[in-house]
Amino acid sequence: MTTRQSALHGIRTSADYFISTFLFGVMFGIAAVAAGLENWQALLMSATSFTASGQFAALEFWTAPLPLGTIALSVALVSSRNLLLGMSMTHHFDGHSLGRRIVWLALLNDPGVVNSFRMDAEIDRLGYVTGYGISMMISWLLSTYIGLNVAHLFTSFDLGAIDFAGPLVIATMMMLFFKGSTSKPTPWILSGVVALILFEAGAANYLILLGSVLVGMVAAVLQNRNIVDGAAAGADDG
Amino acid sequence: MTGPLPGPTMVDTPSTLTAIAMMAGIVYLTRLSGYFVGLRLRHIKGIQPVLEALPGCAFMAILAPAVRQGSVSEIIAMICVILIMWRSNNVVLATSTGMAVLLFGAPYLDAL
Repeated sequence: MTTRQSALHGIRTSADYFISTFLFGVMFGIAAVAAGLENWQALLMSATSFTASGQFAALEFWTAPLPLGTIALSVALVSSRNLLLGMSMTHHFDGHSLGRRIVWLALLNDPGVVNSFRMDAEIDRLGYVTGYGISMMISWLLSTYIGLNVAHLFTSFDLGAIDFAGPLVIATMMMLFFKGSTSKPTPWILSGVVALILFEAGAANYLILLGSVLVGMVAAVLQNRNIVDGAAAGADDG
Repeated sequence: MTGPLPGPTMVDTPSTLTAIAMMAGIVYLTRLSGYFVGLRLRHIKGIQPVLEALPGCAFMAILAPAVRQGSVSEIIAMICVILIMWRSNNVVLATSTGMAVLLFGAPYLDAL
């Protein structure tokens, strides 16, 4: 499948998360008005950052004088999972120029990456993820615009009430991973257990992420080694 | 004495533009750097399945504490999402059901 066809396929298969993203975008628009952003500023933020969790995190500190360091740290921590999304795509963006990869990675997005793993091998994954990202970007901008323009209807809007919507959407992606995986979900389960332990121990959010990802990595290495050893033993027996 | 509720403290335009540019740069760097770190590691034998497991690990690191500290309505919303996804893979149905539980069920469920 060509890059163009893969990108179109990404757009076509993005309807589910287009709607979820739309919901968040409307809420971001409403929250942006409540925080005092002008419409063009909120739209500029959505167009350039394109990160729901990061933008909501920034709004929590949006007061004069802007605490730029705090906002930077907060956005970096919330966006740190992008590092892992990018790493997971390491073997899947081959065959494209470096320039194209650098530019198109701006549209790297969680549901696009998750769904790309469920696609056939012949799909061009950079094209697919980028097409998915274009769809998400359209949804994000449109919904931000609508949220900005209906914000006056929600003057008593409580941002805390929708805090849990983020984990709900992440849960849908995790379920796609669980159901689509060909190997045992041991690394993910261990990551969850370690995250719980660290949370109970009162660790900071970044330490919870770091600790659970490290344990998940070790589990994945051991699991992969067992698979390789098992295959080698099977070949010897044969 | 009563008066109008205080509005948000207005941030001047140059500060806003600086913050937006900074946010865009940070987010883009996180997207870019993970991929290029991966390119450095890709020569390691057997690394591909390890790298591909990472997003799921990150999702679990977010989900587990969120559920642990969730209210009754949030936990029920999460169970609904998981069950619907398990049965149907329907993201829209799962998300909207979860949101409906949060929005309409919270006043009753959290009072239990």
